[in-house]
Amino acid sequence: MNALPIDLALAWESLPALFDGLMVTVFLTALPLIIGLALAFPICFARMSARRALALPAEIFVVFFRGAPLLILLYLVYYGLGQIEALRNGPFWIVFGSPFGCAIVALSLNHAAYMVEVLRGSLLAVPHGIVEASEALGITRRNIFLWVRMPLALRYGLKAYQNEVVSFVKGTAIVSVVTITDLMAVANSIFEQTYDPFTPILCAAAFYWAFVNLIRVGFTVWGRWLSRHSAEDAVVAIPGRQGLGGVVVEAKVTP
Amino acid sequence: MTNLSLADLAGYLRQLGEGALITLELFFASFALAFVLGVLIGVATLARSRVIRAAWRVYASIFMGVPSLLVIFLIFYGGSAMLAAVLGEFGARIDISPFGAGVAALGIVYSAYVAELVRGAIENLPKGQFEGARALAIPPFIMWGRVILPQVMRLALPGLVNVWSFMLKETPLVSLAGLQDLVAATKIAAGATKEPFIFFVATALVFIAFSAASLWLANRLEVRLDRGQRRAPVRSPAQAEA
Repeated sequence: MNALPIDLALAWESLPALFDGLMVTVFLTALPLIIGLALAFPICFARMSARRALALPAEIFVVFFRGAPLLILLYLVYYGLGQIEALRNGPFWIVFGSPFGCAIVALSLNHAAYMVEVLRGSLLAVPHGIVEASEALGITRRNIFLWVRMPLALRYGLKAYQNEVVSFVKGTAIVSVVTITDLMAVANSIFEQTYDPFTPILCAAAFYWAFVNLIRVGFTVWGRWLSRHSAEDAVVAIPGRQGLGGVVVEAKVTP
Repeated sequence: MTNLSLADLAGYLRQLGEGALITLELFFASFALAFVLGVLIGVATLARSRVIRAAWRVYASIFMGVPSLLVIFLIFYGGSAMLAAVLGEFGARIDISPFGAGVAALGIVYSAYVAELVRGAIENLPKGQFEGARALAIPPFIMWGRVILPQVMRLALPGLVNVWSFMLKETPLVSLAGLQDLVAATKIAAGATKEPFIFFVATALVFIAFSAASLWLANRLEVRLDRGQRRAPVRSPAQAEA
């Protein structure tokens, strides 16, 4: 065995296939991120509503789609929904009949559930006095939300959003179980052809690592741009997918 | 609607129960490994040495930047070759089971997150805790075991609970390496009975219930660990004067 476990010739040869896989992964990240975010807003409003009839279903949605492992959600959508006759004959079968559609539905629902909590935490972190002051100034509720609460919530919740997006990207690696050839699946198929366990998987790891860190850098730049007016950045613990990365520690008590 | 007989259901329930046991074993073993490794790495990488810090950054960056599934596959497919490289002839004869690969992969990946939490908590401890222990001539081993780490655990608990519940949701991935766990058993039952919807929803609910139960326990634990912290901070007379 040579010192380097990577077969450079094979790595070079499989680069195009891995790159195609990466593009599938990027696509399966981008679309659910958009759909999930779009779903998260109304569900978050329902979750924060004082009316029990609205809040309860939203809460159940969050508990189920956050609590269930993504792999099981994917199986549920891919295998389970096909069982429903009405759906099989309905117009939505175009979506649920294809592996891509199923993966996007499962990923979006999962992401939406996490984003509801991120959004809620961020909105609750906005000091109440600011909202009251805006109300006292006679700003309409819609404008308060759009121009006062959301911009602040975005700044408070950016770290939690970043953690969620990063773990979401890593979560997409499971879509190969429904026959989608994403980055992980391409690496696996190269392994099955060559029985080289290191080269394809380590190359895929490098691609994932680069993608994830590109996102991290993007968020850092975004965060710096958002807080370009303020010297110190306020850190608030938001219940995201993870305190992973963002360490939640108590502030030191200064007497 | 359903074409499940009661006898069938009982049979599948037994299989699912066995699968659930394997999932639980996998989860506890991986969490224990991640916890022990994480605390050791967290304490070790607080050293001032540049090399150690750089090594930590690389380690954390790699394992926080790649999917757990990829690490599971890497260890499952390549584990024997890795062991052979490290242990020589003896290692080549060890076969990597899906269970072993899963524990190793999840343990290694999540140890990075645990180490990050532990490092953050230690850095947030007042310096006086270390100085006090040194002034009392407490040996380093006892200082870490009886003074520093208990306080670190209190500070790191919310983060550890996050790691716990996130890791729980990643244990099904090991079924893709061929482990006959709860998810694999569910898939078999769902395929054989042509009732995938019910089986997958039920399995999802099992995960949710376990997660809810452990969150409840964690809250109790948090209250208990915080029992010395409930009082308002006492102002020392010297500072009150100043």
